[in-house]
Amino acid sequence: MRAPPALGAGSDLATLTRRLAHLAGARRAGDMALRLLGVAALTGVVATVWLGLFVTPPDEFMGNLVRLLYVHPPMAWVAFLAYGVSALSSLAYLWPRTRSLSFDRLAGASAEVGVVFTALTLVSGSIWGRPTWGAWWVWDPLLTTTALLFVLYLGYLAIRKVPGTPEARARRSAVAALVAFLDVPIVYFSVEWWRSLHQPPTVLNPTTHKTYVHGSMAWTLLLGFVSFTLVYLWLMAHRYRLAKLNELEESEGLEVALAERRAEAVAG
Amino acid sequence: MWHDATLVAAKDLRIEVRSRVAVNQVAPFAIAVLLLFGFALGPDRRTLEPASAGLFWVAVLLSTILAIQRSYSVEASDGARDGLRLSGLDPAGIFLGKAAAVVAELLALEVLLTAGIALLYGAHLSGWGVLVLTCVSATVGLAAVGTLYGVVASGLKTRETLLPLLFLPVVAPVLLAATKAFDAALAGTPSRGLGWLEVLVVFAVLYVALGIVAFGPLLEDG
Amino acid sequence: MNGYVEAGYAVILGSLGTYSVSLIARERAARRRVGAAPGNAVVASATGHRPADESEPTGSP
Repeated sequence: MRAPPALGAGSDLATLTRRLAHLAGARRAGDMALRLLGVAALTGVVATVWLGLFVTPPDEFMGNLVRLLYVHPPMAWVAFLAYGVSALSSLAYLWPRTRSLSFDRLAGASAEVGVVFTALTLVSGSIWGRPTWGAWWVWDPLLTTTALLFVLYLGYLAIRKVPGTPEARARRSAVAALVAFLDVPIVYFSVEWWRSLHQPPTVLNPTTHKTYVHGSMAWTLLLGFVSFTLVYLWLMAHRYRLAKLNELEESEGLEVALAERRAEAVAG
Repeated sequence: MWHDATLVAAKDLRIEVRSRVAVNQVAPFAIAVLLLFGFALGPDRRTLEPASAGLFWVAVLLSTILAIQRSYSVEASDGARDGLRLSGLDPAGIFLGKAAAVVAELLALEVLLTAGIALLYGAHLSGWGVLVLTCVSATVGLAAVGTLYGVVASGLKTRETLLPLLFLPVVAPVLLAATKAFDAALAGTPSRGLGWLEVLVVFAVLYVALGIVAFGPLLEDG
Repeated sequence: MNGYVEAGYAVILGSLGTYSVSLIARERAARRRVGAAPGNAVVASATGHRPADESEPTGSP
């Protein structure tokens, strides 16, 4: 590694940024921003966990179980945020004026990160549900819609793996995304109506996720939402870069194969 | 577009009439599903009868997968799919035609299955208006989604496993709404099913529209 | 009761941590593969990879 250049009088902001970035071991300024994002996300999560587990008081009704409510709703929020990003990116890809493979990459990255958060939403919801409602699973509208979202994500990821040219794959995936993701509101309202017909609201109704949060609990919950959103963004950025690298690798492989073929043709 | 749709639908139905695959394979499959549910949940009619609507529609959903796969396998051989693509037919028309043929096959199947649930589960058939409207709107929605996903999955080695994975989660609301509508009709209170019918119609319109727009580009990728 | 809370936090943090690590590893591996192919400095620099600067040895895939 080259020795970092000495800071002298007359450095302007751009040079200063570059030198700081170099000191941080980053290869370019974008890397440093990503690193900062990662640090911020990690700090937020650690703070949330510390506040959630140790600083905040137990709830009047739920006792210590309320601590799960600092992490479970953020999981659900990110799951649906990721789904929204995927759907909108797919739309952007299909719209002629904004057709660019970067939107397809974005949609795919968001889906992969999204499926992780969706699984975590289901698991954390289940863990919270067992002591609260006595069951590992209830058919409440939000949980049911999330379970279906999970399977829809899996189908979408499966379709992305189907071989083809990048454009064909992007088109196919974008249409699949639209079909699947347009479904989610329909699913949510259908299930909500279905459940409301069968269950009059009661205090212990599983469909009521509401609980009154105040003071330190409210701040912790907010911090949870913010931190995990930062985690999502950080993961997305890396997943996007991975997708770009994979595409480069693929097109390189193609170029190498073509060059070999040409060499054969010349030699033969 | 409508002219092309009629051509394609007529072609698919003619192939079906000659080969009788739906009659010989899909229909017996559906009956077998009803019987197997009987094995799993019966023999007490007190368990089966209230579940008739749901079991009916699950059988229809599974049969739709077979019908869609059949719809595309007729073109899989001899490069017929490329022929379809290059034929100059409007892709939207191809979509509507293939979907319409599937709707026709499934409606015939549903008649059979209605008799099936009456016979095997003791369902009391009533509320015929709602029953028929439910069948039509639900089937159109199922066929639209199936035909759209079918073109993606066809020609792939993984099509047999990919299509069900894609199709079934998306049509979950159709299953829910159709079952509730049927429940209302069979229980003698068909008016309670009207709201669910609305859901089915919205779903059908949405996915037919999506199919008309999206089918063309997908056909190109074959 | 408390076991549930610990389990929930552990699962969430553990899964996200594992996913993050595996993602970084996949990215590093892909970057190395892209850099290793012949005549590739232009392409590699587009993703922030400067072969001349690489402190770790690049092996062939």
